[in-house]
Amino acid sequence: MTPDDIDFDESTLHAYVDGQLPPERAARVADWLLRHPRAAQQVLGWREQRESLKALHREWLDEPVPPSLTAALRPAPNEAAQAANAPRFPRAWAAATLLAVGLGAGAAGGWGGHAWWYAKQETAMTAAAEAAARAAGRDPSIPEYVRDAAIAHAVYQPEKRHPVEVGADQSDHLIQWLSKRLGHPLYVPVLRDYGWKLVGGRLLPAGDDATVGATVGAALARAQFMYENEAGERFTLYVSTGASSPEAPVAFRLMRRVEAGQTTRSLYWIDGRLAYALSGGFDEQRLRVLADLVHARIGMIARASSSATPSPTPSPAPSP
Amino acid sequence: MPLVLDEALPLLPRLRRHARLLCGDHARADDLLQDTLERAARKGALFHADPGPTRQDALRNWLLTLMHRLYLNQRRDAREALHDSLDEDDTSQPLIEEPQQRVALRLDLERALAALPPAAREILLLVCVEELSYQDAAHVLDVPVGTVMSRLSRARERLRLSMDGAAPGRAPLRVVK
Repeated sequence: MTPDDIDFDESTLHAYVDGQLPPERAARVADWLLRHPRAAQQVLGWREQRESLKALHREWLDEPVPPSLTAALRPAPNEAAQAANAPRFPRAWAAATLLAVGLGAGAAGGWGGHAWWYAKQETAMTAAAEAAARAAGRDPSIPEYVRDAAIAHAVYQPEKRHPVEVGADQSDHLIQWLSKRLGHPLYVPVLRDYGWKLVGGRLLPAGDDATVGATVGAALARAQFMYENEAGERFTLYVSTGASSPEAPVAFRLMRRVEAGQTTRSLYWIDGRLAYALSGGFDEQRLRVLADLVHARIGMIARASSSATPSPTPSPAPSP
Repeated sequence: MPLVLDEALPLLPRLRRHARLLCGDHARADDLLQDTLERAARKGALFHADPGPTRQDALRNWLLTLMHRLYLNQRRDAREALHDSLDEDDTSQPLIEEPQQRVALRLDLERALAALPPAAREILLLVCVEELSYQDAAHVLDVPVGTVMSRLSRARERLRLSMDGAAPGRAPLRVVK
């Protein structure tokens, strides 16, 4: 169904990043990117740039607008008299608009707030995501972050010189930094006894995630941790926040992608506010063993750290 | 249906941020926004859009169009008065306590954005920050869609290059513990 041999030009890739493509075409680009890591890396860079621009000085949106500016909207008295002759917009309708808008501001913040704007966008995004998923022959119930995880795995797993942003030699810093960016404490299991050593991790931008609970307030940042064994095999653990959907899978679910003879499997699960995807080029059984292990270890560290040093409330436990 | 000015009120915080990122200077941004709103108040009868969910978008696009036209005029005036008086400002924003990394990244991004040619900054703000469609951005800037695409592509590359260039100057990673 999807021709593999056509290449997408640069403007199509820009349009993909900016969400300007119809869903079916976007899905084809997404699939194509999985097989073209170089282009995917560029696209991820653009997306990251876009997201950080979008987030730039969001706090300004909460500043009160000075009266001098709002006053500029009122026409001078004589002009107002002239305007009175023009067809008038019903006052009641305007009041209703303002009310709706005000409610939206409370609920959503952001764009001076319009509930309808978010509602419209969310519905459209969910519909688009599902259409895209179906067009690509995918199960729309698979959260988008799992696809992002698979793409990120495909991009960085083969990387020789820069597989990670911050290496495991600074693992304390790495974990603290990524926890801050994701707004949630992250736990990175030590698997040395099992033959896996942590290579390091990196910060990644979140995609337009319509399938994971569609949480407007979700963090824009995602984290990827990479592990490697003696044989040079690698797997990645991808973490996303804001994904606590009510229908969260408690058990592991599997997504499998076969591209150009390369199989990447991702097992994903949700644990509280954090959504995980573990991706690797292994068979299912091996991946399940790993996921079990990672999940159990994360649980252990989380329990240990919440009883020892709870981060939100000050505690006297000094670090050695 | 022509403009009711109250409808523009909820758009003001967003327009204000847009103006600030565009001008790189708070006072000048407020002047630009004030001029925009005064013009909107005078020309309100020229705005027509059907009531409904698209009306607010149409109003935003119309106000952005007015703003960018004024911004273009300012640049023309400035160029006539004095060469290149646009990017001289180096406004430093008060820092709120944030993780060091994020502050560093944001400052880099802000500086890099401010150092871009105005046309590049305009297109990035409209497409990436305000999330306008290419069609709408073309309309706001009064250029063909093809120009939007080529400017966007160049702007992204320029911003990427200047961010990469800024990276070595960034604060070194802090090792905790």
